Amino acid sequence: MKRRVAITGLGIISPCGNNTDEFSVNLMAGKSGVRRISSAYSSLLSVKVAAEVDFNPLDYFIKKQLASLDRVSQFALAAASQAWKDSGMSLGAQEKERAGVYIGCGMGGGNSIEDLYDQLFKHNADRVKPLTVLMVMNNASASHISIEYGLSGPCLTLSTACASSANAIGEAFRQVSDGYVDIMLTGGAESFLTYGSFRSWESLRVLAAEDPEDPSKSCKPFSKNRTGLVLGEGAAMVVLEEMERAIRREAPIYAELIGYGSTSDAGHITRPSLEGQARAMTEALKDACLLPEDIDYINAHGTATQYDQLETQAIKQVFGDYACNVPVSSTKSMHGHTMGAAGAIEFIVSLLAIKNQALSPTINLDQPDPECDLDYIPNIGRKGVKVNTVMSNSFAFGGTNAVLIASKMKG
Amino acid sequence: MSNTLERLQRLFIARFDYKLEELTASTTLENLGLDSLDIIDFLFDIEDEFNIKVPDREFEVTTIQDMVDALDRFISEQDSKQDIDSSTHN
Repeated sequence: MKRRVAITGLGIISPCGNNTDEFSVNLMAGKSGVRRISSAYSSLLSVKVAAEVDFNPLDYFIKKQLASLDRVSQFALAAASQAWKDSGMSLGAQEKERAGVYIGCGMGGGNSIEDLYDQLFKHNADRVKPLTVLMVMNNASASHISIEYGLSGPCLTLSTACASSANAIGEAFRQVSDGYVDIMLTGGAESFLTYGSFRSWESLRVLAAEDPEDPSKSCKPFSKNRTGLVLGEGAAMVVLEEMERAIRREAPIYAELIGYGSTSDAGHITRPSLEGQARAMTEALKDACLLPEDIDYINAHGTATQYDQLETQAIKQVFGDYACNVPVSSTKSMHGHTMGAAGAIEFIVSLLAIKNQALSPTINLDQPDPECDLDYIPNIGRKGVKVNTVMSNSFAFGGTNAVLIASKMKG
Repeated sequence: MSNTLERLQRLFIARFDYKLEELTASTTLENLGLDSLDIIDFLFDIEDEFNIKVPDREFEVTTIQDMVDALDRFISEQDSKQDIDSSTHN
């Protein structure tokens, strides 16, 4: 017997704001978080734009805590703290045993890895920072969250590149729905905007060229003149709670999580498969017991590479004639590609659409691509829209596809 | 010329934001909320500050005074080793 799952808390750290209100306002206003990189090494890069988070660690942590926290874990903990507080959750000892943490993260403590190699190879250090292992390990964020809130149910880290946190939320959904736990604090985090990371991505030839007139316009999903993705960083967390428990304690319920689909392209390590993407959407719809026509908004994966066209075809395959009527946007145009955090950040965009009955735009869509001919909510957000049910897509390098569906609470 | 305790107190303050009053010689590390992992990490800064190397498992300390005593021992061992090295090279 599947149990229903409520979403009762949200938290976010992003290039477009470090709380959900600020994030929501900025996205609706079409405000881009993409800009010229602030670091000194940017002169060595051919691509000098990214979506960085504006974050002062001392606003959130004392010095002693920071010694063992890579930037990615700082983001994760800050977002988790918002979500937990937002949910108003207060757990007894036994309840904590039925609460877990699933976090999506692609690369773990990227800044600490870079710092390590800097110390060893550039400075010939005879010893490195003692807590390096603990800051680099990919499970650090999930563990720190589990420790902070005393959540002693399952604590896992999922790593599926750009789909990491969509998979984390989806798998957490199943944990609650299938009755293994009653509460999950789940989402994702990523922070790997380092010299090594930029050079690596540059070499793969998928990064956007800087817009000649305005760096903030460099990420152009679905546009004819799109040139590639813009790297971002951030974290987003949600609290999932068994529905009856949430109703009983009169928790604030943003929406009900009703569907999750996850597939693998099993094809190519970077080139996505239409069939794999379409099947993930179909699986999610089936899981939610919905028809395509029931979806009021899709937050696309839409990275602004050539593959935006493939996602368009996949949506058409699943949604048929309705595809032209369902609004789709890629908010990566504003917050960049946040990799392991993308699934969670974009799921929160979708939940805010339900909360505000408003849709965030795809900005920088000035030259429509005939091959991408859906309603991408170009440039201007829409208010006063009926939004009951939303779908959020994440289609990753390596071929993992993850799709989440959430629905407004009735009554 | 600062003594070991003063130098150590300054390091504590720079690293952890403690106040000087909290860092008396008899204060235990447990009272300061520091566990063995914190000490391992702090040792990195201590080794740099005092220009010494602390071998594994040779820093079993409970109080700040224990730390001062251990550091003084390492410093004098280091000094006498350097004296021996320079005298054998003459």
